Amino acid sequence: MLVAAAAAALITFPYWSAPWASRFATTVVRDALILAIFALSLDLLVGRAGMPSLGHAAFFGAGAYAAGIASQRLATDQLPVTLGAAALVAALLALVIGVLVVRSEGIFFLMLTLALAQIVFAIAFQWTAVTGGSNGLAGIGRPMLGGLDFSAPDSIYVLVAITFVLVALAIWGLTQAPYGRALIGVRENERRMRALGYDTARLRLSAFVLAGTIAGIAGALSAYSTRFVSAQDAGLGSSVRAFVTVLVGGAGTLGGPMVGSALVSLIERIVPSLLPTELRISNAILGLVFIGFVLFARQGMVGLGRFAWLRLRRR
Amino acid sequence: MSPELVFQQALNGLSFGALLFILASGLSLVFGMMDVVNLAHGAFYMLGAYVALSVVQFTGSFWLALLVAPLALALLGLVLEPLLLRRLRGRHLDQVLLTIGVSLVIVDVIGQVWGREVRSLSAPAGLDGSVALVGGVYPVYRLFVIGFGAALAAAMAVVYRRTKIGMLIRAGVEDAQMLGALGVDTNRLFAATFATGAALAGLAGVIAAPVFGVQPGMDTDPGLLYSLVVVVVGGLGTLSGAVAGSVLVGPADTFGKVLFQDVALAVIFAIVALVLLLKPTGLLGRIRIAR
Amino acid sequence: MIEVRDLRRAFGGVLALDGVTLTLREGERRAVIGPNGAGKTTLINVLAGEIPSTGGAVRLGGHDITRLRSWQRARLGLARVYQRTELFSPLSSRENVALAIASRRGPYRVFGAPARSEQAEADTLLERVGLAGREGMTVHALSHGERRQLELAVALAQRPRVLLLDEPTAGMSPLETARITELVASLERSLTILIVEHDMDVVFRLADRVTVLHEGRVIADGTAEEVRGDVRVHDVYLGKAVTVA
Repeated sequence: MLVAAAAAALITFPYWSAPWASRFATTVVRDALILAIFALSLDLLVGRAGMPSLGHAAFFGAGAYAAGIASQRLATDQLPVTLGAAALVAALLALVIGVLVVRSEGIFFLMLTLALAQIVFAIAFQWTAVTGGSNGLAGIGRPMLGGLDFSAPDSIYVLVAITFVLVALAIWGLTQAPYGRALIGVRENERRMRALGYDTARLRLSAFVLAGTIAGIAGALSAYSTRFVSAQDAGLGSSVRAFVTVLVGGAGTLGGPMVGSALVSLIERIVPSLLPTELRISNAILGLVFIGFVLFARQGMVGLGRFAWLRLRRR
Repeated sequence: MSPELVFQQALNGLSFGALLFILASGLSLVFGMMDVVNLAHGAFYMLGAYVALSVVQFTGSFWLALLVAPLALALLGLVLEPLLLRRLRGRHLDQVLLTIGVSLVIVDVIGQVWGREVRSLSAPAGLDGSVALVGGVYPVYRLFVIGFGAALAAAMAVVYRRTKIGMLIRAGVEDAQMLGALGVDTNRLFAATFATGAALAGLAGVIAAPVFGVQPGMDTDPGLLYSLVVVVVGGLGTLSGAVAGSVLVGPADTFGKVLFQDVALAVIFAIVALVLLLKPTGLLGRIRIAR
Repeated sequence: MIEVRDLRRAFGGVLALDGVTLTLREGERRAVIGPNGAGKTTLINVLAGEIPSTGGAVRLGGHDITRLRSWQRARLGLARVYQRTELFSPLSSRENVALAIASRRGPYRVFGAPARSEQAEADTLLERVGLAGREGMTVHALSHGERRQLELAVALAQRPRVLLLDEPTAGMSPLETARITELVASLERSLTILIVEHDMDVVFRLADRVTVLHEGRVIADGTAEEVRGDVRVHDVYLGKAVTVA
């Protein structure tokens, strides 16, 4: 019940916050939610299945480009088409890359996802004819559903917020179900899982493709929001940002990616306004925060929260 | 394509390969010894180029920069390893994550200190001309790069196989823990290895600067991207792997860019994919997968 | 039930298994013994499919499984218990067993929490192996002997036709050993069991037949009594050279 109320509040945020929050606030929360969806999908891999992927932005970018290109080439703005195209392209790309990386683990897996995603990014950056190259893809159509036009800032926000709630629910459901348990099993002891009869390679591939698809949807939402796709969306910086979000928030938990995206968005928005404008070091700050968490709070903020809660209960 | 053009592109490919070797060898060395993929390697490469920029700006000497930049990076490596990596001894994946954070910091600091415009570094006097070669002219500097890379590879091979340090490295690559049990100070060994890897990255940055320029984004492209591709293709942890990878990827990328232009990197993707499907440990590598 | 014919496994130049042949009838309890380095664990690993053989064949219930992977063999009814405990550490006993049960139904169910019947089945199995009251405890919290019991529960949850036990009583106190031994003795007679063991008391209590391995080859094969009296087996354990017949 509490969750339903929170979800409702989140979705209607621009409306009830209008008196005291600016339009800018809506944009900030919207972008944080898009990052949260992206991070939630990455957490399926990093936190649940134990697959540390540093190339997840390739799918985010693929979704963004697919949505944009679909709206331009197919001359339609209907959400089912453009969002569907985004999901499909992202899923296919995840399948292709997944087949190549899924048999490796740990650091090697991390390296491979990074390298392959970087290659995809470089292709996007150079393939001017299709993706607009370094100039990016502009003029993304407005997202429409039947006659409903979602392009107004408040409406876009609602679209993003609803998607976020749906994705969060889906992932929560997944992790409770046998599928989610199986992913955890693969993470904890793959050898034993195989001895139990699980085809672990296929399980990992399915998780990889699922995560990639959701990331693609997040990418499409980003394209609708900013009406622009930049090659950087598919780049290493974007992948790293998502990874940092997951770890700093708390990998393997539902709240982790959400809290993480709030923190990362905060750092990216607030820090520049606190420092003199010539000092553009929000990435460095993010890096330092990340280092801090890896060294001292590996379980992220959720982990810190649990730790604090346990200490409090003992008193 | 005319024969002259092919020849020129082949030389381009070789010089790129030589550069890739200098760059990737550091990454491979650190992984072989410490089981850590230093994702700040590209940032080190970038820093090397920018430091060279400043040295040349203040002293006018490219050769001095060639000396100072690797030394500066080595120093940085000597500081970072005990400060950060050593705290997570045994947690290899977390060490790799640390290097991500380091790379974020370094790249931003570079942008802050040196600015975010595209800069360039000229080849040193004496190497900045062209030489007549097989029906055309070819930049001397690129020939220098090929020579330098080959010489470095030869020097490293000698050190690796004939010296005591090389023996320590080979043993460490095989089993670093055992070395510790035998009384070798692994802390110092690891710090020195990390510093050497950083120095090699910095060296690559200086050498690459006259050819590829000095600009934001160079830490990932060509830096990290190509060093990763080379070690994945050639095999992690071995000198011969770094050589094999560079020799394959350098020309492949160059010809790919000439033949396919916009989607040139699809060639690289295809090569990596092929290697992964057929020989996942890389052409000449022995991978130890650590969590 | 299980037919192993001329099985070989080479590691570089070392022949860990050098032409092992043995056959288990359904419901048979077979112990495999031999001095250290005889190839016993390698045999289990190859049978389980975790290591490929370099020669020979294995048949399970009439199917040729020589080329199958470990998870495929598990699906055909093969289960194993590891020498060094291989469990899912942060999960509770019940969750460990539940994973094995879930594997029977397939892992791609994405809707809904696992059925109550699966939980109940897990609890019943835990009680069967003597871990009643420990269902909610994580693996960390269990004693060594209890972890071995859990291992057995997990393997049984697969409803296997064949069970491979790799030194089930290793590192256990006499009390724990007795408990595990009785547990295994009480298993259904339809279950075919292959046990690698060092403890001869356990062997005599459980085994219908005993196979003795030495340097990757079978040097004796018979009932426990026959093997006990076999001179060559004595020699092998005492370190004398043996010519293989």
